[in-house]
Amino acid sequence: MEFKRRNGGPPMGGASQAKRGKTAGDWEDSPSIFEEELAQFEEADMEAEDREGQAGHDVIPVGDLFSADLNPRWRRPQATPLNPDSDTLIFQQIDLDYYLGSAVAGMPGQTHGNVPIIRMFGVTDSGNSVCCHVHGFAPYFYVPAPNGFTSGHLSEFKRELNSAVLKDMRSNKDNISVTVLAVDITRKESMYGYHGKQIADFLRITMAMPRLIAPAKRLLELGFKFGTFSTQQYSSYEANIDFEIRFMVDSGVVGCCWIELPKGKYRVREERSTEETDHCYPGKVSLCQYELDVGWTQLISHPAEGEYQRIAPLRVLSFDIECAGRKGIFPEADKDPVIQIASMVQRQGEKEPFIRTIFTLQSCASIVGSQVLCFTKESQLLQSWAEFLRTVDADIVTGYNIQNFDLPYLLNRAATLKVKLFPYLGRVRGIVSVLRESNFQSKQMGRRENKILNMEGRVQFDLLQVLLRDYKLRSYTLNAVSFHFLQEQKEDVQHSIITDLQNGNEQTRRRLAVYCLKDAYLPLRLLQKLMCIINYMEMARVTGVPLTYLLSRGQQIKVVSQLLRQAMKQGLVMPVVKPAAGEDYTGATVIEPEKGYYSIPIATLDFSSLYPSIMMAHNLCYTTLLQKGSAEKLGLGPEDFIKTPTGDQFVKSSVRKGLLPDILEDLLSARKRAKAELKKETDPFKKQVLDGRQLALKISANSVYGFTGAQVGKLPCLEISQSVTGFGRQMIEQTKQLVETKYTISNGYQADAKVIYGDTDSVMVKLGVDTVSKAMEVGREAAEYVSAHFTPPIKLEFEKVYYPYLLINKKRYAGLYFSSSADTHDKMDCKGIETVRRDNCTLVANLINTCLQTILIDRDPQGAVAHAKEVISDLLCNRIDISQLVITKELTRTAQEYAGKQAHVELAERMKKRDAGSAPQLGDRVPYVIIKAAKGVAAYMKSEDPIYVLENNIPIDTQYYLEQQLSKPLLRIFEPILGESKAESVLLKGDHTRCKTVLTSRVGGLMAFATKKSTCIGCRAVLKNEAAVCDFCKKKESELYQKEIFHLSTLEERFSRLWTQCQRCQGSLHEDVLCTSRDCPIFYMRKKVQKDLDDQEKLVSRFGW
Amino acid sequence: MFSELSHSSRQGSCSLLCRPGSEDQDPSVFDRVQPAYSPCAERFRLGERSFNRQYAHIYATRLMQMSPLLTERAQQKWGADVPIKKLCDLQMGEQCCIVGTLFKHMDLQPSILKEISEEHNLLPQPPRTKYISQSDELILEDELQRIKLEGNIDVDKFVTGSVIAIYGAEKNDGKFTVEDFCTADLPPQAPRTPISSDRFVLLVSGLGLGGSHADSMLALQLLVDMVTGQLGDQGEQSGAATISRVLLAGNLLSQTTQDKDASTKAKYLTKKTQAGTVDAVRLLDELLMQLVASVPVDVMPGQYDPTNYTLPQQPLHRCMLPLSSSYPTLQLASNPHQASIDGVRFLGTSGQNVLDIQRYSGMDSHLDILENTLRLRHLAPTAPDTLGCYPFYLKDPFILEECPHVYFSGNAPSYQSKHITGADGQDVLLVAIPEFSSTQTACLVNLRTLECEPIRFSSFSAGDDEESEMNISH
Repeated sequence: MEFKRRNGGPPMGGASQAKRGKTAGDWEDSPSIFEEELAQFEEADMEAEDREGQAGHDVIPVGDLFSADLNPRWRRPQATPLNPDSDTLIFQQIDLDYYLGSAVAGMPGQTHGNVPIIRMFGVTDSGNSVCCHVHGFAPYFYVPAPNGFTSGHLSEFKRELNSAVLKDMRSNKDNISVTVLAVDITRKESMYGYHGKQIADFLRITMAMPRLIAPAKRLLELGFKFGTFSTQQYSSYEANIDFEIRFMVDSGVVGCCWIELPKGKYRVREERSTEETDHCYPGKVSLCQYELDVGWTQLISHPAEGEYQRIAPLRVLSFDIECAGRKGIFPEADKDPVIQIASMVQRQGEKEPFIRTIFTLQSCASIVGSQVLCFTKESQLLQSWAEFLRTVDADIVTGYNIQNFDLPYLLNRAATLKVKLFPYLGRVRGIVSVLRESNFQSKQMGRRENKILNMEGRVQFDLLQVLLRDYKLRSYTLNAVSFHFLQEQKEDVQHSIITDLQNGNEQTRRRLAVYCLKDAYLPLRLLQKLMCIINYMEMARVTGVPLTYLLSRGQQIKVVSQLLRQAMKQGLVMPVVKPAAGEDYTGATVIEPEKGYYSIPIATLDFSSLYPSIMMAHNLCYTTLLQKGSAEKLGLGPEDFIKTPTGDQFVKSSVRKGLLPDILEDLLSARKRAKAELKKETDPFKKQVLDGRQLALKISANSVYGFTGAQVGKLPCLEISQSVTGFGRQMIEQTKQLVETKYTISNGYQADAKVIYGDTDSVMVKLGVDTVSKAMEVGREAAEYVSAHFTPPIKLEFEKVYYPYLLINKKRYAGLYFSSSADTHDKMDCKGIETVRRDNCTLVANLINTCLQTILIDRDPQGAVAHAKEVISDLLCNRIDISQLVITKELTRTAQEYAGKQAHVELAERMKKRDAGSAPQLGDRVPYVIIKAAKGVAAYMKSEDPIYVLENNIPIDTQYYLEQQLSKPLLRIFEPILGESKAESVLLKGDHTRCKTVLTSRVGGLMAFATKKSTCIGCRAVLKNEAAVCDFCKKKESELYQKEIFHLSTLEERFSRLWTQCQRCQGSLHEDVLCTSRDCPIFYMRKKVQKDLDDQEKLVSRFGW
Repeated sequence: MFSELSHSSRQGSCSLLCRPGSEDQDPSVFDRVQPAYSPCAERFRLGERSFNRQYAHIYATRLMQMSPLLTERAQQKWGADVPIKKLCDLQMGEQCCIVGTLFKHMDLQPSILKEISEEHNLLPQPPRTKYISQSDELILEDELQRIKLEGNIDVDKFVTGSVIAIYGAEKNDGKFTVEDFCTADLPPQAPRTPISSDRFVLLVSGLGLGGSHADSMLALQLLVDMVTGQLGDQGEQSGAATISRVLLAGNLLSQTTQDKDASTKAKYLTKKTQAGTVDAVRLLDELLMQLVASVPVDVMPGQYDPTNYTLPQQPLHRCMLPLSSSYPTLQLASNPHQASIDGVRFLGTSGQNVLDIQRYSGMDSHLDILENTLRLRHLAPTAPDTLGCYPFYLKDPFILEECPHVYFSGNAPSYQSKHITGADGQDVLLVAIPEFSSTQTACLVNLRTLECEPIRFSSFSAGDDEESEMNISH
């Protein structure tokens, strides 16, 4: 999982490695046997059925939302009746929100009017669903008490503020009479800056509702007058905290933790009809099996440790819909029907889904292993699926792009068809699911227009969103993603064909259904493989925010939640700061690299968790920050504080221990514990949990620094972040100096050590030894030696040896990585080289990768040069597979919004004109190639759809690929080897660049007026007839023929292999391959071979038979 | 029998030890027998080809053409009232018969997808001689659906693309439990016209020109000399005259002439080079000229010969054989090849179909595989799946519509032959023609008796001193 910061700032220390779920050569199940797979599930289910016993039929209240009793397997296991006096209820909470409702008798808190009530949803160990109403918690914030304020002024302050807030309300439709519930004096201290432990009086203002905080804060900040006090501006504290977070912090609840309701402390809600409703004793409002009321101080929240690390048997539902679009038009919910919905439900922790259903419009032949439900009316289909969702009572709803496509489409379609009972998808009975638009903008993700749909109590976990956040991929289509992580292809059926299949017979619909089921199944497989749910849960537990926040919010909220928890313990309050764009500060240091190709071992020394450990070592925190000049004021001696390299001052931990160091210590020691447990643990599932946990802890620790540097954040503090990087710089320099002065010939070492490069948290040292094992030995010693010069917990660690090592530039290097053993390398490590960047075509990545492999693994720089030349020649001769030339860019904005014209945007516009249906949508990645055009045509006009290029024989601008794409990365890696001036002349000039193939386009321009004349295959002389060779070449005819026929036979072999592969993949011999998956490496290839073969066949036939 | 013949003739006129023939003595001239010959391989000739189609059609046609045959067989085997079902109408547990195309799911099958996948280019798949494994599964597919097979059916014996009928029932786990199966079996056979005298057809394959077998070149020259009557005494010469035709079944050129790099190497490096086959083709032309001056020759291309890759391979182009192609006795044939020689129907391939089945099934003997394809009534069931094949539309020329009298395949590791008889009295001679370059063996088929024997052209070698005279041994 790659760590992301919401806001910029220099790269983190101990940058986390992208974790990829890849297995080498692990092709356990071939795609063609998906149907058989489905069939096998059934077998497994038979056994499971016996174990499960009779799944509950009754008990679960079936209200209006359920029409028929469907498959018994859908329901949750029967819930045993609960006696509040003798039973303690323990459940894992997975979603948490609040609502405004009338007070319930016997529960704490305000009794009249609407009060905020926290609602928790969860699941018990036995798999029963729980909805828990938590009463009595009210929102509050702080302001510093004005001078001379005493408890006597409290009531007056409260009354004045209350009336001010009431007056401020434009309309009072809820008929609120009391806005300020209470004002108390508390002894608190501001978190920001050290001011000599002066605990001051703060007013804690408790409001009736969360939304009243903002006006109260605004009124107080603008200036507020009460009683005898003059108009005064009050700065507010902790007024910008989400209500849920406020509650979780105060009650010690963290995301996805286990909640215990002790016996006698809660009340069970019963099923009640509408007539019996009693405001004080309300009946059940949710679809959960248990519904309870509890006071907020009564519940016990268990920290996620020991047995409470477990995960309840959550139900994960994955679904996919198919719509019958019209030709050339992307399906529109008000016109095009939903024809199939496939759903799979799996219990978290189990291997396979236990419910597999497909809802189809019109009949559909049976599919072994899946339940097929056919409907003649679309409205019936939609309504039944909604009932299915409610019956299954999924805790987590997943799928691929459900958030922006499937769910909105279903909802809009249901609205069009007036299916009244459809949009109740949440767990609370009366709440309609509605669609909202939201814009989410962040630096690394660009602007995303997201649709949000409320589903109370169910966590929407759109796999696409997870992947967009955590993984950098070339393509995000489900097919590409499955291929990447599971090495599994799926058939990709185009929209237009879907309609044809639907309009066929029950067999063609069955084909579609299998395809649809697979689309529902793959997200589950991926979630499992990538351990998304477990990792996200652990992140929620570690940072203490609800699970849903992790997908809908940025990084900051996680740090805020931890900061508040820590602050509460120490009686500190967090100020509200206005976001302001501040000046930038210097980033991490880089020791100027000594570029070159090193054929001797290079040892690498790393500071582990550099930034967190600097903050801990030097006690850098908001609470320890000394404002300029305040050291004297507070009478602090020079031994009490430090001065950072940037000139900022912080008190030492002997004076006051900072909050951030505390948080970091907790996180890092928890990570150490988790890692230790991980080593001991043998159960693979628990292992996954622990691994997810240690990863979450690491990411959280690193995000603390980013939080202090976030200029528009909740609490930026430039002094901290610049001091941290300052220390980092200093330490890198110091390390260099220490190593270079100790490891010298004069000190008895083999050679003078030289630091050839250093960046952020690591230094690369040329020790002058010639074996990896020696380099490891000296490296370890050096790390220890240097560590001794720094304040703990800062520690320099020996991590790896690169041998050989190619240092190209700052942040650009490659080497063979030796860490676990001195004899065999662990991997080839490339940083900042085009092998991973996405905005290049794959040709670049592949070429660079192969060259690096040849240089580093085979140690054959000349072989690498030869390979590069061959590829360049192939490129110029149009022999490179077009899929390798495809560049993809994401369409993040519409054309009008882009400042300059861009290739992919222009292409999207042009494609829209050709065929609106298949044109890329906002947010899609647009694949394109650069084509030849007349001189002077702007680069952005030269983009074209690869398929269009293939079909119309449009020539590729090979010069562009050579100059704009290949040349720079190639020169970069070869310059250190060949020398700067030579690299260019060797690689980019010479024989291999002089043989070119020129294609003639079938479309556009002059082609309509051109007549084609055949030329001699031997000498290209223009021929008068259609023969193969000219008279002069006649004597060489045999040789020429053999060359061409050989080429033909090579193409035929490719043709037959490619097309039979697609047949196997689609799992049918008797039906044509329909797949149009552009991410499949075969897709363009098979199209091209078809065309090449036809051309070659024509050429060969000129020889006559 | 050929040598017996020469033996008897030896007694009559002269022997090997007689005086060398003098000028005045009448040189004995033997006229070569001229059989009636008609090539009937039009269905393997393609003319203009187009590759805009997919492979589904050939499977669909195959199933459509073969299912009436199989229905009939099934009714013969399991009774006229056996329920013959489509998979979509299949009821759980019901005993019935289903006709469909087999698909064998194989884990070890090489996949081009894996080969080109960028992430796996580090681990080339190890080359194997066989791709079968324990986890292979048979799946039967009819026009619309597929079902996995289990029970009384030997997975290793079958290959993808075979059309068969199975009898059994679907069990509740979505698999079909096979109790019995049947194939289309031998097609009807036209009767042979009886011939009064012995006439022979010489079958040779795998000449391997351009290869490094020096001794096979000598053996090859011996073969040519023998056939053209340049060898031995008059008895042997008269025997040679009874060879009415020579059939070269593919791989005239050696595998070493296949310059696989040429297709992957950059063009600028290969522009000036010529195909690796040029020299070998020149040699072939000279060799053929010697042969065709004396005897009619059918030349079939094989896997390594300069023609197209996919089956049916088209005849070699005349422009490559400027010397020999002027003779009317040179018959450039397709692969598969079919011809009627003196009323005896020959059908066979240069061996690709058999070798491919060998790779993808548990069967090893070329003869068994040949028989198997005859029983399946299909020349090349694995085409197009693993055997390159032209994307036919509305026809499958590999379905056997008529039973041949001689059914052969070339490039076998060793000589094998046998007769099989069909239920309707068909009598077929199966011949696995050995690869000449490695075995120096060819075979002679007697058109009168339909018997076959190998002839070996052993050369000088330390091992066989006694047989150091270049002889025809068997």
